[in-house]
Amino acid sequence: MEDDVPGGPLRRMSSRIRRVAPKMVAALASSDNREQAALARLEALESDNAFAEVMEVSSEEDDSLDGDGQAHMQRRQSKNMKRKTRQGKAMENAKRAPRTFIEILHDANLEALPRHVPTYLRAAVGPPSASARRYFCAVCGFAACYTCVRCGARFCSCRCQVIHNETRCLKFIS
Amino acid sequence: MSSSSGVIVLDNGGGLCKAGFGGDRDPVAVVPNCLGRPAGAGGKRWMVADQLLAPEVDVTSLALRRPFDRGYLINTDLQREVWDRVLRGLLHADPAHTSLLLVEPLFNIPSIQRATDELVFEDFGFQSFYVADSPSLVHLYEASRCPALATAQCSLVVDCGFSFTHAAPVLQNFTLNYGARRLDLGGKALTNYLKELVSYRSVNVMDETFIIDDAKEKLCFVSLDVTRDLHLARRSGKDNPFKCTYVLPDGITCTKGFVKDKDEAWRFLSSRDVQSLPLAATREGTAHLEDTEKAKDRRIDLTKNEFNMTNERFLVPEMIFRPADLGMNEAGLAECVVRAVHACHPHLHPVLFESIILTGGSTLFPQFAERLQQELRPLIRDDYRLKIITQEDPILGVWRGGSLLASSPDFEEMCVTKLEYEEFGSARCRRRFFH
Ligand SMILES: [Zn+2]
Ligand SMILES: [Zn+2]
Repeated sequence: MEDDVPGGPLRRMSSRIRRVAPKMVAALASSDNREQAALARLEALESDNAFAEVMEVSSEEDDSLDGDGQAHMQRRQSKNMKRKTRQGKAMENAKRAPRTFIEILHDANLEALPRHVPTYLRAAVGPPSASARRYFCAVCGFAACYTCVRCGARFCSCRCQVIHNETRCLKFIS
Repeated sequence: MSSSSGVIVLDNGGGLCKAGFGGDRDPVAVVPNCLGRPAGAGGKRWMVADQLLAPEVDVTSLALRRPFDRGYLINTDLQREVWDRVLRGLLHADPAHTSLLLVEPLFNIPSIQRATDELVFEDFGFQSFYVADSPSLVHLYEASRCPALATAQCSLVVDCGFSFTHAAPVLQNFTLNYGARRLDLGGKALTNYLKELVSYRSVNVMDETFIIDDAKEKLCFVSLDVTRDLHLARRSGKDNPFKCTYVLPDGITCTKGFVKDKDEAWRFLSSRDVQSLPLAATREGTAHLEDTEKAKDRRIDLTKNEFNMTNERFLVPEMIFRPADLGMNEAGLAECVVRAVHACHPHLHPVLFESIILTGGSTLFPQFAERLQQELRPLIRDDYRLKIITQEDPILGVWRGGSLLASSPDFEEMCVTKLEYEEFGSARCRRRFFH
């Protein structure tokens, strides 16, 4: 779990980049495609909207779009204005300061607390005692014995490899 | 106010917000703790909480904004919107004359606690406020129903929710924080994993959180023998006990998705021959021929309005038991339970192992308890008894415990009042909650 806490690399990033999840940052810094794909994939499991993560890095466009929509809506529905404005404001604030939990955790500096204090970090279950990882084919789900050299995905047969190459290879890092 | 009790009980989860009045059996509202709006044209207005559940709302491609990230409240602006809708719109509550019992996640971060206090006292102006954690409430509720638990005064609560899973020991109604262990997997990650599998294998559903959530809840189960079930899932047509179809909404005849032939989808659970089938009986030869057909089917077809599921049905919940399969360097649920117990005094070990309570929506997968039992048994001493208690309604378990606590005679004394908050500030008031 300690590995997941953003350390040095995050701090050196500009504030814009900091919005991207830490695993993604690690992935981008890594030269190994397979590692990148694996990390990005884990990160994607915690996202709310599949494509939002990509947008977040350049979200100015999105902000202004939203603002226009908001203004438009207010003009049209002045009767209900109080509510709309408040909701619009909430959505704007939400976009302006999207502090992720990882950032909040980082600022909380829990590592500085004495060892005996139970914290979020110390409650992490930790690695498995026997880590015999099983591999399932990314295409069909059955036991997989082959690995894609480009992205590290697993597949079970030539048929599945073809499908993988045609449709999904490197999807998580492009 | 619609109830005799002046206490609002709010189990504010990352996925669902459960709200109602202390003393009642069930909450008034169980609604998504998020805002959403349709992706296409006409999606100007954000719908809040229950508005997303309205029958006429087409849940296709909703963009979602949640106040929670990884199980913690990170966005009070969004939370205010949801609470406003729930408390004023659905509960018709008057916070100025009401106390609030709020359920917070374990190990909440001080800055988040401060922001929460502000929301409760400054934005909503509640009269008084109490913070509880879910394991102690679940214990309280189950102990009120089961005399043995009440006598033992301790239990191990496994809460498998939306954002994460905790195994937490509870002793005399207090959660032993030093024993609690967290697995960073919950319902949200499982839904996203299912999205990924379905998108990869049949139809692109990466934007369909609500729909795939529904498919997961209605079709996924925990396997008691993955190797055997993988073999069974290779069979063709009617011989495949797990094959089932989920129909996507088309926006015209239906706005919600549904399972095609639900009884057929679950027939295998009751049919003995499937459960006891030896591996040799699966027809490897034909299975391979048929894989070629399947492989062709699996090319993505964007026009399809339904998708089939076979091994995805059990490979998805499987991740809770084997996160390593996903590439996560975390122990599975059984080890998580054992580590939580072993963090406690040895005197407690045998009692905790025989009082494991399952709660949280992700424990609803069929065979969840059986699988945990199966994996735990070899990990604990032979002379210890192992008992897993399932809740009648694991989604409402925490809320019902809160309702019970809120209706106890000394509840008001446990609260922090608005005056105290204004005088002493957040940090000092928080100390009263023993966190
Ligand atoms: Zn395959
Ligand atoms: Zn690949």
